[in-house]
Amino acid sequence: MKVTRRDLLVWSAGAAAGLVVTPVPWKLLDDSSIWSQNWPWIPQPTRGPVEVKQSACTLCPNGCGMRLKMAAGWPVGVAGGSSHPISRGALCPLGFGAHQLNWHPERLRTVRRRATTSSWSEAKAAFAKACSEGPVVIIDGYPGRAASSVLESFNQKRNGSYRVVLGRETRALAPYEAWSGVPASALGYDLENAQTIVSFGAPLLDGWGPPGRFTRLWAERVAGAGPQLRLIQADGSLSRTATRAWRWVPVQAGCETALAAGVARVLLEERLVLARGPMPPLTLVDAASQTGLTTDAIRDLARTIVAHPPAVAIANDDNPAIAALNVVLGAAGASGGIVRRSKPATSYVGADAAIPSARAVLIDSSVPWDFARQTDAEVFRFAAWDGGSSKADWLLPAPGFLEELTDVPTAPTSAIETYAVAPSLVKAPAEVQSAAQFLSSIDPTLTTAEKIIHARCEDLFRGRIGTLIGRDRTSVAKLDSVQKFEEQLWKGAVWVGERSRPDGLRCELQVWPTAATSARPESWSATWPAPVLPPLASKLYKESSLREPPERRNA
Amino acid sequence: MSRNTLIFGFGLAVALVAGWVGFPRALYVQRQQPLEFRHKTHAEKSGIADCSECHALREDGAFAGIPAMEKCAGCHSERIGESKAEATLVDNFIKPGHETPWLVYARQPANVWFSHAIHVKRAGLACTECHSTYGESDQVRVYQVNRISGYSRDIWGHSISRLRRAPHEGMKMSDCEDCHRRHNVEVGCLGCHE
Repeated sequence: MKVTRRDLLVWSAGAAAGLVVTPVPWKLLDDSSIWSQNWPWIPQPTRGPVEVKQSACTLCPNGCGMRLKMAAGWPVGVAGGSSHPISRGALCPLGFGAHQLNWHPERLRTVRRRATTSSWSEAKAAFAKACSEGPVVIIDGYPGRAASSVLESFNQKRNGSYRVVLGRETRALAPYEAWSGVPASALGYDLENAQTIVSFGAPLLDGWGPPGRFTRLWAERVAGAGPQLRLIQADGSLSRTATRAWRWVPVQAGCETALAAGVARVLLEERLVLARGPMPPLTLVDAASQTGLTTDAIRDLARTIVAHPPAVAIANDDNPAIAALNVVLGAAGASGGIVRRSKPATSYVGADAAIPSARAVLIDSSVPWDFARQTDAEVFRFAAWDGGSSKADWLLPAPGFLEELTDVPTAPTSAIETYAVAPSLVKAPAEVQSAAQFLSSIDPTLTTAEKIIHARCEDLFRGRIGTLIGRDRTSVAKLDSVQKFEEQLWKGAVWVGERSRPDGLRCELQVWPTAATSARPESWSATWPAPVLPPLASKLYKESSLREPPERRNA
Repeated sequence: MSRNTLIFGFGLAVALVAGWVGFPRALYVQRQQPLEFRHKTHAEKSGIADCSECHALREDGAFAGIPAMEKCAGCHSERIGESKAEATLVDNFIKPGHETPWLVYARQPANVWFSHAIHVKRAGLACTECHSTYGESDQVRVYQVNRISGYSRDIWGHSISRLRRAPHEGMKMSDCEDCHRRHNVEVGCLGCHE
């Protein structure tokens, strides 16, 4: 029998029809998709015993609780630590991928001087020379840590300046510091006891403070757990927070000051509150014309705010008018408002204040890359990742995520004191040094961060107050030694202090403030927008569209 | 029957046989485990009554998986039988202090997080619901590895069509989703992909 071309085509058609009803195409499709995930150049974590460790995120000052899945001693997965009293199991998108940051292509591993390779010895010699020739400014992006104490101590010895880069949340508390004398770093928002929250553009549900704190609280209250919480969002656009708020007040962007003054005027004129502050000079008609609202709408807003007390107003940045509104509302130093935490705190000088002529500026790795400097001083920039080497004379590789022991002080907006320790869970490359280690190598008399953490643990233990929250809740008074206290902290427990004292904050306000954020003097860091973000966040987090920058949010 | 129908049918038959019989044999490679292991013997002669005696959960909630050599050495520090497997275990692994390179049937990609603790303690699942009666088996199964994906055949399940599978067969993501749907448990993406 002769096989013709037609026979072959018919046979092929039969085979093709048969193949479709076999597992071949479908299984190959599935297997090839898995094969594409396992190409040899894709790094794979080491196989080994898997264990789970509790720690705290060190990427920004919020210090959220973390649960790390470790394989063969390396973190391969991150989840939120649900027992953490502030973050309550939530993390920001950057935190969820934090274990991968140490392998980022832009990871710094060599000392660079103006884009050329240098060495630690040359960097130390240059910094020591600069210290001997003139004043030095040290800038910290995460104050309150043990490492920060090392930086402060070095500066005190050299008569230098220690400046901090404060987050928007902390800057929003600055007016209360001016009116009460209580450092802004000691103040927090008692959101858990508030029943009405008026947010003036603050992204409460979209990246304000520890991600889990307000989002969890809001979800619980919406679900009916606890008293009703009213979130009123005054925003220039229908932001993510505005879409989920109890009420959105659409106002013209940048007119928060006028709105706060208008609301305060109504509260005082209609005697909706006990007179606690001066009358704003702005008339209600002017406030209405500036905000784009009607006078009736502002009156209605003021009545709504006081209808469901306690109420508190939250600014998105340093805005004295909104702080003054809180004074009028009686929210400054009251339960459900702005409260003073129990622990004494230091008053920091912000990095946007005028900097005296300095011979050198040392920038800690906690300062985000967005920080723009305009100075003739020699800049020593510590960073774990390269965010733009041309900005610094010296680029010094710092430890990455969980590569060094650090402590985690209270989050900026928290109403209660907390303290945690993030031990070094990952072996740091030999080429990296933190700013504190660098300064200690120049001045060996400085106390190391490890000793400072130990001393802080001893202080907390001796105080015999507060609770350790880890797998279980243990009162500090029931622990019999500081070693056990430290051991629990090293294992990921969080020390939580006693509740804050609402009466610990008294604001004296005689005249309605006129200065607004937009009137801030132009300074060498005025262009820096989002201080709470860690260095790499400026590249990854913001560009990922997971978080809109403020300018877009208010567009 | 026409000539064309016959040829078409022949092509169809060849494809069906190749796809259903030849393809699975070509796709999977058989590999022997490094040791003979009998769950049944351990249960009967050593009095090990509970899976968790060897496959324990750690304090942190992580599953210890296959016990480390240290655990085996508790009984097998010296030969306690004359079998070849016993000699291999003691001479090749326990005395030199080497871990047995078991081929793990359930090994998942690195981006998958499966918590035995949650399934056993919180959901109250018995070991047999996923592992069937493997704990009573008298020999280790042959390990079959997929030439393309590199994972065990147990992930897909023994049946190449995935039809009429027993409840414990298959460890694909869809299997996890099906079980969660049956038990009305929502975990979201991050429940398994941390």
